[in-house]
Amino acid sequence: MSVSKTTGGKTLDIVKSLPRITLANLRPNPGAKKDDKRRGRGMHGGSKSGRGHKGERQRGNRPRLGFEGGQTPFYLIIPKYGYNEGHSRRPQYPPLSLRRLQHLIDLGRLDPSQPIDLTQLVNCRGVTIQPLKRDFGVQLVEEGADLFCARVNLEVQIASEAAIAAVERNGGVITTSYYDPRSLAVLIKPVPFFMSGQPIPKRMLPSEDLVPYYTDPNNRGYLCDQEKVKAARLALAQKYGYTLPDVSTETACELLAQRKDPRQIFFGLSPGWVVNLVDKKILKPTDQKVLQYYNS
Amino acid sequence: MAASLLSRRTARVFGISSINSLLPSLSQCVILQQVAGYNPKPLRLNLKTPYIPDKNSEKTPEWQKTVKYDRTLYGKYGAASGVDPVKLWPTHEQLDEMIAEEKEWHPPLEKMLENIAVKEKERAEKRLAREKLIAANMAKMPKMVADWKREKHEAKKKQKEDKARRDRLLAEARERFGYALDPRSPKFLEMVSEIEKEEKKKRKLLKRRQKEQQQGLAGGAPPPPAATS
Repeated sequence: MSVSKTTGGKTLDIVKSLPRITLANLRPNPGAKKDDKRRGRGMHGGSKSGRGHKGERQRGNRPRLGFEGGQTPFYLIIPKYGYNEGHSRRPQYPPLSLRRLQHLIDLGRLDPSQPIDLTQLVNCRGVTIQPLKRDFGVQLVEEGADLFCARVNLEVQIASEAAIAAVERNGGVITTSYYDPRSLAVLIKPVPFFMSGQPIPKRMLPSEDLVPYYTDPNNRGYLCDQEKVKAARLALAQKYGYTLPDVSTETACELLAQRKDPRQIFFGLSPGWVVNLVDKKILKPTDQKVLQYYNS
Repeated sequence: MAASLLSRRTARVFGISSINSLLPSLSQCVILQQVAGYNPKPLRLNLKTPYIPDKNSEKTPEWQKTVKYDRTLYGKYGAASGVDPVKLWPTHEQLDEMIAEEKEWHPPLEKMLENIAVKEKERAEKRLAREKLIAANMAKMPKMVADWKREKHEAKKKQKEDKARRDRLLAEARERFGYALDPRSPKFLEMVSEIEKEEKKKRKLLKRRQKEQQQGLAGGAPPPPAATS
């Protein structure tokens, strides 16, 4: 073909010279269609073609799944009831037992000389948290309470009373705190988050139905008054019959006193800061409005 | 029970397995804690020849010209990416939006506590009202039970009396006619009405006599009128 004079190039020329597209001249792309398998031909021809003898099996007109030949099927006999209402939206808290915690500490996978929060637990492969599967954190359960003997500064999302007692009997500190799904994702995978170059978000408050749990000193909630927590610690010690070890004079005091702000996600890092792993730098905003948003 | 459960272990706190747990208090000792720590994945970044897309080039895809991509670049390569760190934070307009959203969807803690208190109060009031109603109804209960028992007892008594009367009537009919009579037959019914009439008359007479006797007692024993009639 000669060089085209028009601006569209050769393609436009070709399209112009072709007939109009109709149903008559459309055909599938080469290779788009595959011939059906023809049963009962050639070497394997014969009477049954591998489908067995007679009936729905051979003719391929099987009834729907769960059909029981006309009698009321099982799945319709059992009445519906709302036990599982909203099960796909319920928050999940995978359990972490005290036995497992002790195991992790004994193996050196967890360092009890540092405050233990969800980042530590996930990094040591102690728990698996999937925020997209509606996991909201871990719950500490009392299995292994009698063999737990570590002094830890622990932060979990839900803790049973006996588990709290077991931690405090050894002179430890436990806090239950809430992380909204976004903060949780940041907390359990800090490195990918820091690589995204975003400022650390502000931790949101729990929803209204969870506020009573986290403001209750008996649950060691992170939103309640520290004085009340002290009283609750004493009450629990009396209930379970142990004396609280005096830690105020020890070097461990500093470790045990560490607590996060309700808006804080990481120890030592405020919301609004940007952590750069490559430059090994922390960038802090100076803009007043930004500061005001992240500090409120 | 819980106390015994918890204190079972205290006797062997100094076992081998608890060395790590007691480290803070044993830090002066020679025993070193073995901490595996976190073994992070390598970052696998091409730091020597980083890919920084040219913003002005037409060949660069649009998504590589966004602010989000710039932030990622900064996160990956740091200052070498040439991204202005100001871009890492939201702009004022975005901040306004974020604040508005937070105001709409995330009420402050005090507000939530207030709401909870109000709801709790409502629930308590409802419960109290219900308890009051139940208590009031329960107070009525003994009287109602007594009434019900009495009624039942009376109904039973009446039924018994009716049965006795009928039996008596039937017996009388048999005596009178010489054979057992069907209680629905007109003959029997006639007899019953007759007997009733007689009884009525007798009762009337008895009443009158009693009245007269009383009058006689009250009026200083006048001559009995029954003798005159």
